[in-house]
Parts: sequence; structure tokens; C-alpha cells
Amino acid sequence: MTGFVDLYTEGNTFLHQMDPRVKILAVIFLSALALIIGNLYYLLVLLAAILLLLAFGRATLSKTFFALKLVLRVMVLIVILWPFFNPTGSPVLFHYGIIKITEPGIIHGITVAVRIACLASVWYILMFTTTQRDLVRALVKMGLRFDFGLTLSIALRFLPTFGAMVESIEDAQRARGMEFDKGSLLKRSRNYVAVLVPTIVSALRTADMLSLALQSRAYGARKDRTYLRDLRMRPTDYAALALFALTIALPAFAKYVLQVHI
Amino acid sequence: MRPLELRDVTFTHADSPKRALDGISLDVEKGEFVTLLGENGSGKSTVCMLSNGLIPHAIRGQLGGSVKVFGYEVAEHSVAEFATRVGIVFQEPESQLFCMSVEEEVSFGPENLAVPREEIRERVEWALELTGMKGYNDRSPFSLSGGEKQRVAIAAALSMRPEMLVLDEPAYALDPVGRTELYRVLRELKEKQGMTVLLAERDAEDASTFSDRIVLMKAGRVVGNGTPREMLRDPDRLRSIGIWPPQLSEVSALLNRRLGRSDFDFSSVQEAEKMISALISSGKGGAR
Amino acid sequence: MIPRSAGRADQDFFIVARDIKYAYEGGIEALKGVNLRIKRGEFIAIVGGNGSGKTTLAKNLNGLLRPTSGAVDVAGMPAAKMTVAELARFVGYAFQNPDHQLFSGTVDEEVRFGPKNLGMIESEVAKQAEHAIALMGLQGFRSAQPLSLTLGIRRKVSIASVIAMDPQVILLDEPTTGLDAGETTDLFGCIRALNEEGHTLILITHDMRLVAEHAKRVLVMAGGRIVLDSDPAGVFSDLEILKSSKLEPPPVTLLAHRLAESRIPKDTATPEQLVDRIVALAGGRR
Repeated sequence: MTGFVDLYTEGNTFLHQMDPRVKILAVIFLSALALIIGNLYYLLVLLAAILLLLAFGRATLSKTFFALKLVLRVMVLIVILWPFFNPTGSPVLFHYGIIKITEPGIIHGITVAVRIACLASVWYILMFTTTQRDLVRALVKMGLRFDFGLTLSIALRFLPTFGAMVESIEDAQRARGMEFDKGSLLKRSRNYVAVLVPTIVSALRTADMLSLALQSRAYGARKDRTYLRDLRMRPTDYAALALFALTIALPAFAKYVLQVHI
Repeated sequence: MRPLELRDVTFTHADSPKRALDGISLDVEKGEFVTLLGENGSGKSTVCMLSNGLIPHAIRGQLGGSVKVFGYEVAEHSVAEFATRVGIVFQEPESQLFCMSVEEEVSFGPENLAVPREEIRERVEWALELTGMKGYNDRSPFSLSGGEKQRVAIAAALSMRPEMLVLDEPAYALDPVGRTELYRVLRELKEKQGMTVLLAERDAEDASTFSDRIVLMKAGRVVGNGTPREMLRDPDRLRSIGIWPPQLSEVSALLNRRLGRSDFDFSSVQEAEKMISALISSGKGGAR
Repeated sequence: MIPRSAGRADQDFFIVARDIKYAYEGGIEALKGVNLRIKRGEFIAIVGGNGSGKTTLAKNLNGLLRPTSGAVDVAGMPAAKMTVAELARFVGYAFQNPDHQLFSGTVDEEVRFGPKNLGMIESEVAKQAEHAIALMGLQGFRSAQPLSLTLGIRRKVSIASVIAMDPQVILLDEPTTGLDAGETTDLFGCIRALNEEGHTLILITHDMRLVAEHAKRVLVMAGGRIVLDSDPAGVFSDLEILKSSKLEPPPVTLLAHRLAESRIPKDTATPEQLVDRIVALAGGRR
């Protein structure tokens, strides 16, 4: 269950060292870029660039495929179905009754699929190279209230713990003859109460204890606080930020001001 | 100022009819290592929660009598105010560690107090060293054993530089190895740092070896208060308050009974070995 | 539906594990070849430190985990062919944390949950629940809400809810965690009664004092293997194995070993035993 949220892979690449705030903004800029580019070939270049960045971040081949696997099904579906719903332009390749397929229609479908691939994989640039701790720190530095940041990091910290707990509860109930994979949907939902109740009770008990621990360590004692390890932008971070900003600024300028088709 | 002073304290939880504390008076002096021994429900946890103000501020109920921590009445000062002088460790390792790395956990307290960064760094390293967790800075809590988690919890309390450390059944969920490591850390804290320690326990075996004083509790009252030797020598008395007597106490009491003597009183395995082998080789132990 | 009394009447062993190995995802081998035969009515303690494989072994005996190699037979039938629910009729498992099992509104409902799942008819469910509640001394708590009770009682409820399914074997995972002396003695009274009724008891624990007092057979586990399978005397006389398995011998045993020169037997494990032997040795010589 941890694997789903904690995708961090150890490494010392320039991406790992980059300030997480820059990475967050980079992801936003690159996503925006994927949205404003309309030309299939430019989009493919963007996708290649993103995958290259992932490779620089030491993302192994299997991890990259894992990243794309989730959207692969959607992409295939779009490539297949899009032409049916967008039969515009010429040349027409197939026409039978209401079914009409055009070449531009096919190309457009592929374009949308590649765009989705870009949008999906760009997040992994952030997720593979940033620890959960730095991620939360970055959000707090960018304006998220410290309380919310703490709530987020506590939630992330307890995900694997609660995951293991739910598994243990399921095991305990299965050992009492409970079967979770048989019966109608209604019956299965009612059976799941036997897992939900202990989970919620344990979660509430943990929350109670946590609040005592937090108070005992003077949480909320003062309005100000210090940080042992803090994020600080270095010149390379500013340079990278400028670079990423340009990657969106220039094309946007070209498209909307100069009316260039991209 | 005395670290802890209780006078005729009574406490009833908000949602329970029973008195958790039924008129107790108790002192902990500076530098002392005091162990509270009592069965479940005897009130020892309640005393721990009083020592930094969690009762009555975070845990609701009716508090009567006087509870002074370093001279300050707990009812009149917030938990945050006591946090710099009293550190507390609870029995569940899992639910008192909430950060994503050991270093964050141990630095959390001083960060809340806006301690300057360099000093936090020093405190973190000092606390980790004392608890034998040096080098564990970047480990996640999920990857630690129960014993390691509890030692991190102790480090997280120590980094606040408390003058008194309170531990509520810290070995509750630990296996023998974890338990031994934990007690080794506590012994070192006492011997090398002169830390004032208040420990609540259900098991007399470990505490007997290095506590300065043992307080026996039952049903919210203090029923015994003295040196380990005095408090632990009578197994029947311990059993009557729901505590496993240390096995050595059982042995000496049984020997006394069987041989019609009263001088057997072992406080350590070495002492027991000496006296028993002497007894056997002299052959003078025959029942009278 | 597997009939409840399958297996030949002369079947010697109720559970047989043949060279079972178990590896978790990610490759960690928790069981490295375990052979085990358990008869009806035994009272076994499985001891070992964290990571010794004792919980993994227990879960392989009731189907929660399936061996990656080797086989387990329960009641004369291969466990591999039975689902966890079907195995629950023969091997009951009470988890260490009772709060992972309790969810009903009353103790009575909680205890009935298991038998109902097994498809017992109403009168049988009532009979089994009644018996389980009586055995664990929970008569006064029948309509209480399980989650509002103290730990000792909650644990008894969780064990009762397993007993109610009337399995031959009852596995208890660290049942004394968090219990004080009185609660532990009380619990063991119930456990002994269960054993006297004919149930096979398997206790997973690291409390060697309890093992010394109650177990008739002890399996010491370390590193995914059974390193010693003997009666308590055999186990306590081997300090090396105990230490290397990360177990704490009771102080009495440590003392007995030190007194070996005075001819105190090394397998002494309880205070009473030690004193008996000291008096015998001391009184004998004149």
C-alpha cells in the first residue's frame, strides 16, 4: 500500500538535488505546455523530453512503464474511439452510413492520447525524485498553513501503518469464517463492517494518543517556529526555475501573441 | 523545587464513575528514579498524565487536591509550559511517533519552541546518542522495531531538555530484547545524566534493579513507598496488589518459610548464588 | 461443505507440517523449512524473538498464509485444498490485538459471529456461544459493548469468539500482552480448562515465565526454523539456545545454571522447583 503513494527512488541526480518548489512549478509549467501545444509532433517531442528527464532522475525502465501503465488503457481507448466521434476534415478514409473516419480525426485522437501521456508522466518527475517530507515542506513554504502541512505529513506517515492494520483486521475476521469475496455486493458491503469498525476505532484511538504526544512536545506553544532542515534556493535552482519558466513563456507568447500554430 | 508533589489528590475521568485516584500523596525528589508499581487500573498511568498537565488539560475529569510540578500547580498552567521541564513517553510505540523520519521526530519539540537551528542540531545528536539511536536520523518510523521506536520516543522527549522524564509502561508492547535495551537506556540516563525519572510498570522484575524508590499502588491509592528491597521482599504483598513478584523474592520467601528462617533476602542473582551455594555446601539447612 | 469430523478416527496427528517454507513478497524468507507434528490435546508454546517466524508459522497453520513450498495437513486433509473459512472449523486463531476483531454491539453478538459465519444452525450457535462465554467467565458481560470494556475482558471476548466456532486447535498469539498478574492468572485458568476439555492449545509467546509454568511442549524458533522441540525442562537447561534465540530465561533459570556446581539441575524453571531442590540438597548433607 505504501508503494502507491511513496514513489521516491533513492538517488543523487540533479533532479534529486533540485529544490522541490522548483520541481512543483516545473510540473505545472510543463503541464500547461502540454495543454497549449496542438501539434502532434511537437507533443511527441515534449513527451520524449519528459521521459528523458525521468531517466535523468534515475527512474528505471520498469518504474517508468509502471507510471505509464496506469494511463495506457485510457490512451488506447482514446486512440481507438476518438476518430469515431470526431470525423472532421479530409481525407476521409472510411465511410459507411453514419460511421465516418477521417485522417485528421485519427491524428487528433493520437494527439489527445499523447497529451494525456505527457500530463500523466510529468508528475513522476516530482514524485520519483522528492521525499514525502520535502514535498510537504515545499507546500508549506509556498503558502500552505503549517497545521495543514503537519496534517498531511501525519496522514502520509500513517498510510503504511494503517494499510498493514487493515490487512491484519481482514485476516482476523477471515480466521472467524468471514469471506470477503463471496456473495452479492450488498452482502459483501455488510460484511465489510467487520473490518471498518475495528479500523475506525483503532484510528480514533491512535488520534487520541497522537494529540497527547503533540501537546507534550509543546505543539502550538508559540506562533513562530524554527526548522532544523529548511529549504533554501540555490543559484542552480533559480536558473532551473528560469529555464522552466521560459519553456512555457516562449511557446505561450508565440501562440497567443504571435498567433503561431504550435 | 521538587519535581513532583502530590497532596491528597483525587481524580475521576469525565466518562467514568470510578475514582482513578483516591486520595494520594507522593513526592519525587530531584535526581530520584521512582517506579510506580501497580496492576491495570491502579492509577499509575493517571499519576504519569498529571506530571506534565495532560490531566486536567487534555484529559477531562474532576481533579481534587494539589499537584505541583517544579512548584507550579498543574491546573493553573498549560501543558506547553510544562513541556520544557517534563518529558513523557507513552506505552504504545506506534501512536507517539508521527513524523516521517527519526530526525524530524526528535527535532519537532525544539522546533515548536523556536530554538535556534544550531542548538536543535546539537540537542538532536545528543538525544540520539543517549538513546543508542545515533545514525538513525533518516530512518522512517515504519522501518523500526518496537524497541527502537520507544528509544526514539525517549530521544524526542529528551531533546526538549526536560528535568524530569516520565514513562508510562514503556515496555508494554516490547519483546525481551526491546525491553532489555530500553532499560539499559534508562539506567544510563540515571547513572550518567542524573535525570529524575518517574516510571510506571506492571512488572517488578526489571525495576527492582536500579530504582531508588518503589511506590506500590492499588485502586488509586498508595499502599507502599520505600526502597526496592523493602517493597519487593514480600511476594504475597505484591501478589495482593496484582503484581508478579520478582522471582528472587519468591525464592527467598519460600526458602525462609521452608527452612524456618527469615534472613534470606536476595536483591541480586550474585547475592543469591553466594548464599545458596554456601547453604548447600554447609548442609546446615535442614528443616526444623 | 467439508464435514466437521473428517479424518480417520485413528489419525495420530491433527496437524502435520512437512518441510514448509514461506517467503514474503520481496523475497524475505520467514520460514526456512519447518517440520512439525501436533497431536490432539497437546499444550504447546511456540517461543522466539521478533523475526523468528513464530507468527508466520502460526498463520501457515490456519490458511491465512500458504506455504511457498512444503505442505500442511489439518485433520488428515491437505490444508491447501481448504479455504481459510473452512480451516477455521479446525484451527481457531485469536489475534494479539483483540481490537482488531471486536466490532459488535454486544459481547453476545460478537461471540456468535464466528459460528454464524460457519453456517451453524441457530440452536448450535446458541449452544457454542453459551459454552464459550461460560468457559471464559464472561457471563456478567453478555450485553456489554465490547469496545467499552477493559483490555483483559476484551481479550477474553476475542478468545471466546474463537472458541465458539468449536475448533479442535486454538492458537493464541501473545495473549498476555498488557495484562497484569491477576488477569494473566485468570486467563490461564480458562486456557487450562480448554485444554482439559480436549482442545489442542498452541500459545505464541515470549514470556518464558509463563512457558515454565504452563506449557508441556515448547518449540523454540529462531531465524525461520525450529531450533528446539522439547519439554520445558529440555528447553530451560539449554541457556545457549535461549540466548541465541533472543529469549530471556527466567531469573530462576539463570540462578540455577550458576548453581550448577552445587548440583542444582539446570532445567529448573520456577521458584518452587528451585527451592525444592535447594532444600533437598541442603537438608541431605550432615
